[in-house]
Amino acid sequence: MTALLSPEILMSIMVAAMGVATVILLAAIGELVTERAGIWNMGVEGTMLTGCLMAYLAMVATGSPVLAGLTAIAGGLVAGLLIGFLTVTLRVDHFVTGLGFNLLASGLTLFWFRSYVGGGKPPTYDTIDKSPIPLLSDIPVLGPILFDQHLLTYVAFLSIPFIAFFLRRTTYGLETRAAGENPQFLEAKGLSVAKRQYSALLFGSALTALGGAFLMFAFADQFRPDISGGRGWLAIVAVIAGNWRPVRTMIAVLVFAILDSLAVHAQGVGVNVPYQFFLMLPYVASILLLVMIRSSSGQPAKLGVPYLRH
Amino acid sequence: MIEISPRSSVGWQAQALAYVLALICGFATSALLIALSGASVTEGFGALYEGAFGSQEALLQSLVAATPLIFTGLATVIAFRAEIWSIGQEGQMFAGAMCGYWISLVLGAVTGWIAVPAILVAAMLGGAVMGGLCGWLKTRFQVNEIISTVMLNYVIVYLLSYLLAGGPWTEEGSTSYHQTPVFSENIRLPLIIAEVKLHFGFVLALLAAALCWVILKKTPLGFEIRALGFNPTALRFKGVNVTRTVLVVMCFSGALAALAGVSEIFGVNYRLRGDVMTGLGFTGIIVGMIGGLNPIGTVIAALLFGALANGSLYMNVLSDIPPSLVPAMQGILLLFFLSASVLVRYSIQFRRVAQ
Repeated sequence: MTALLSPEILMSIMVAAMGVATVILLAAIGELVTERAGIWNMGVEGTMLTGCLMAYLAMVATGSPVLAGLTAIAGGLVAGLLIGFLTVTLRVDHFVTGLGFNLLASGLTLFWFRSYVGGGKPPTYDTIDKSPIPLLSDIPVLGPILFDQHLLTYVAFLSIPFIAFFLRRTTYGLETRAAGENPQFLEAKGLSVAKRQYSALLFGSALTALGGAFLMFAFADQFRPDISGGRGWLAIVAVIAGNWRPVRTMIAVLVFAILDSLAVHAQGVGVNVPYQFFLMLPYVASILLLVMIRSSSGQPAKLGVPYLRH
Repeated sequence: MIEISPRSSVGWQAQALAYVLALICGFATSALLIALSGASVTEGFGALYEGAFGSQEALLQSLVAATPLIFTGLATVIAFRAEIWSIGQEGQMFAGAMCGYWISLVLGAVTGWIAVPAILVAAMLGGAVMGGLCGWLKTRFQVNEIISTVMLNYVIVYLLSYLLAGGPWTEEGSTSYHQTPVFSENIRLPLIIAEVKLHFGFVLALLAAALCWVILKKTPLGFEIRALGFNPTALRFKGVNVTRTVLVVMCFSGALAALAGVSEIFGVNYRLRGDVMTGLGFTGIIVGMIGGLNPIGTVIAALLFGALANGSLYMNVLSDIPPSLVPAMQGILLLFFLSASVLVRYSIQFRRVAQ
């Protein structure tokens, strides 16, 4: 157990945690915006999985991470459209839609992957190198953790202030929030609730799929069935635990990410606690987090309530 | 722009038509999927049908495959009717199988007519505790049940992985397979038709469906469950202890899901291993929803899905189509059924609206 607490291992855990955090954070930011628009999107896990498969297929076909990222985003947009059609247009219950979509994505990605691979071995590719920032990455301790990461990691963390600004200060951001708080008000001003909810869903689903793509870029050299492994759900928990606020959501994501990379390192170091117990940590922590953080003051008033015009 | 307004009433013909349409659309989309993957549609569906209904043996095996889905489907019905969105059926099923196995170890070589009921009871208790825990988290701490049940699904899978790989239940000498040794005869579920392994669990599943129907339709608890989904505030004013009802629903749902684990492990496989149960809980959610959250509809949907699952084994042997077509098809069918349920409840008009 003490081996886990050596400075080198702790350092390595933190460096890896930033990568894991990127995956969950991209999805969590997307879900945050979606939920602020009033859509309780429970299809995050399925959307992330879609992003994983799309990125994998494009990565194998082209070898270009940019094209793979774009393909994943396209997959995410399709997912967002489908979820939007069911929740916003048809007004199917948000929970039921999300569950249904997750099951569909889990089955469809598996089928697509298996027919793609056929009977043979799944093709692999090289995971992507990091992009250290010159000079800053040489700072002891902080450098490797904060400034020797992948491009998307910087993007994910830097997007936090932008999202906060978008939701607080821009007209469209305020209108998006109004769709979640008081859709009648939007309607009375002659603005379309559906349009704001669709755009929030499309934005959220694209980011979630990009998170899935990053999972493939940084951690895996091939697709596996249900490779997202609950990280989409952790993103939803992070939004609730973060009381629908960007910075607090980020902190919750970091908690999960550190526990996740702790589990990976525990296997490597060979502590005498079975590794499965470490793997349970993020999931147990998410329940404990929700038990401890009882405040839901930031929850949009009309979250999950299908809007029916009168 | 699409305008949607609630319909006042719909005849059963319109409902039936909508669902048949959903079924056709689902199969058509699946056919498209097969075609896109480069395989022959007729060959695939032919093999699927042949494997599911082609012979008396195939038909009976489809009943075996439907058995755990009836249980997890009913577990879904009980929870979702109360608008408690539990997706813990998967974990509760695992917990049921694990508790059943544990009690069988404790009992040792006790005769079957004591051992089998004890296993059933222990499994149901295990599933009920798992479900009840999430109900307690929901009522005591307002923890969303979707989140808690999903998270516990992951926890229980890792727990089983530990027990079977390196933990106390690891089979001696076996390192590659994560499974227990084969069970002795005395703890297996009795067989009805030995050749196809149609076991007592199937009868139990039908009984459970009848019980759920009676409870939902004829008892005060059933009224509370339906009212909980409809209007919990009004229920509270009527003096009903809503907290207690939520806990009862979650325990009941968990116990039903647990029986799915027992029937797979003690009725078909005769050894505890995780991969033979994987996905049965999630499929149960689709089964329950396609069954219209109604016990009888759930049995019908489970029979259809059991046939699909059984047919996929045959399809795998006969054609190039991967058996993972079936989970994909199940998801597609579900989304069409969800859309159809909207068609039934609302009337839809297309018209032009500004902005």
